[in-house]
Amino acid sequence: MAKQPRTNQSTGNVSVIISITLVLFVLGIVSLLVLNTHRLSTYVKENIGISVFLKDSTNTAEATNFKKLLDVTNYVKTAIYVSKQEAAKDLQKELGGEQFVTFLGYNPLNDLIDIRLKADYANNDSIKAIENQLMNNPLVKEVYYQKSLIDVVNANAKRISFILLGFSALLLIIAIALINNTIRLHIYAKRFLIKTMQLVGATQGFIHKPFFIRGVINGLIGAVFAIASISGTMYYLYMQAPNFFTITDVDIALIVALIILCLGCIISVLSTYFALRKYLKLSFEDLYAR
Amino acid sequence: MERIIYLKNVSVFQNQNIVLANVNLSVNKGELLYLIGKTGSGKSSLLKIMYAELPLQKGEAEIVGYNLQTLTAKEVPYLRRKLGIVFQDFKLLTDRTVADNLSFVLKATGWEDAAKINTQVLAVLERVGIGTKGNKMPYELSGGEQQRVAIARALINNPEVILADEPTGNLDPITSNEIIQLLFEISKTGCAIVMASHDVGSMSRYATRTIKCENGVIQELNTTPTPPVA
Repeated sequence: MAKQPRTNQSTGNVSVIISITLVLFVLGIVSLLVLNTHRLSTYVKENIGISVFLKDSTNTAEATNFKKLLDVTNYVKTAIYVSKQEAAKDLQKELGGEQFVTFLGYNPLNDLIDIRLKADYANNDSIKAIENQLMNNPLVKEVYYQKSLIDVVNANAKRISFILLGFSALLLIIAIALINNTIRLHIYAKRFLIKTMQLVGATQGFIHKPFFIRGVINGLIGAVFAIASISGTMYYLYMQAPNFFTITDVDIALIVALIILCLGCIISVLSTYFALRKYLKLSFEDLYAR
Repeated sequence: MERIIYLKNVSVFQNQNIVLANVNLSVNKGELLYLIGKTGSGKSSLLKIMYAELPLQKGEAEIVGYNLQTLTAKEVPYLRRKLGIVFQDFKLLTDRTVADNLSFVLKATGWEDAAKINTQVLAVLERVGIGTKGNKMPYELSGGEQQRVAIARALINNPEVILADEPTGNLDPITSNEIIQLLFEISKTGCAIVMASHDVGSMSRYATRTIKCENGVIQELNTTPTPPVA
């Protein structure tokens, strides 16, 4: 039996699958970023600190009680009590071991409670209200936070969301164009076969069928490779920076996987349909001309 | 006699240019018709009208029961299933074996039973004299063998008429004679054949009805079908 020349056909399919995989991979990563923008924004906001300095007169028991009170307050994510002695030790370390307490003859620092706010409260309006509320407490000497940093974080979180959304929309168009071009080239190579099929009495539906099946298979294979690559990349990033690149929620991961699978199949089948439609309409002479 | 092809006052256009005017032609079942003329005289275009590759712009035409004036795009495949078409360059499906080329046509026309398909493919390959070539790829065959595959493909659905466009154009004289002989034998089984060729020499060995395309009109040269010259 003659060996069938599958090589060219397989090479064509491999090119299509590689094209689909690469484009869906980038698209998937951006989709994950977009879907995780809120998480990233929350992560950054919840790492903005507010330092609540306590008066010199505050004793440890009062400070501990106040810290416990803050722990159960609705806007506080975490509250850490740092005594003036611990603060002095930390500062001494930062100053390269210089014993400033001995030099001054007293510890100029105050006890403080370092607060991390919940993301919803990490805006200047809320923080101002929180500051006022804290200042009403007789134990509190001063509340310190970086107002400009909070503005920058909030402004950038919105900006990044819009940029990512715009970028992903652009990428979607590029994805469609790239996959479409690759598939059109693949079908262009078969244009004479398609025309011959027409001439022997095959209906358009009959001619479409194997191309659509191949389109779905290529789309699915490309999507599966893309999902595997995205999972690998996310795992690598998680291993490198576990706090920042947290493994995403299962439902978000499933949504992205589903979007990628659907996109792979839909773009592949639609591109196949439009390319086939074009060549089915052309005469043999036109096929040579194009 | 049952009429298979009927053209009345048909004009053949190629890119808005009229190449044949007022074509009146009738072909009966089992008839073999030569369509001769120089390259560019309109033979192929006339055949293209018959298998609905070119639209009928002027005149009346009925091919194997299909009125070309009212033929819709969806009906074209069904018209072609009642025809067999043979081309100069064979136009085989190069990505599959000879047997698969033939079974494709059967599957495309609704055959589903694999055993029946195999039987039909083998029978038609035997009929054109290449019964052992079913597993070959088209590129492994000679030009004459490839043309026999194309004829087998044209025959496989038992068409009422075969339209052959320069079927010997790519073949050497000996192979050309074999192909013409084969088509002649097929015509004796009741299948009408319209064969276009500019190679008048090799066709003159088989005296039959001949139409000449020249100067934008057709002219009937010999209206009396006769058996082939031995």
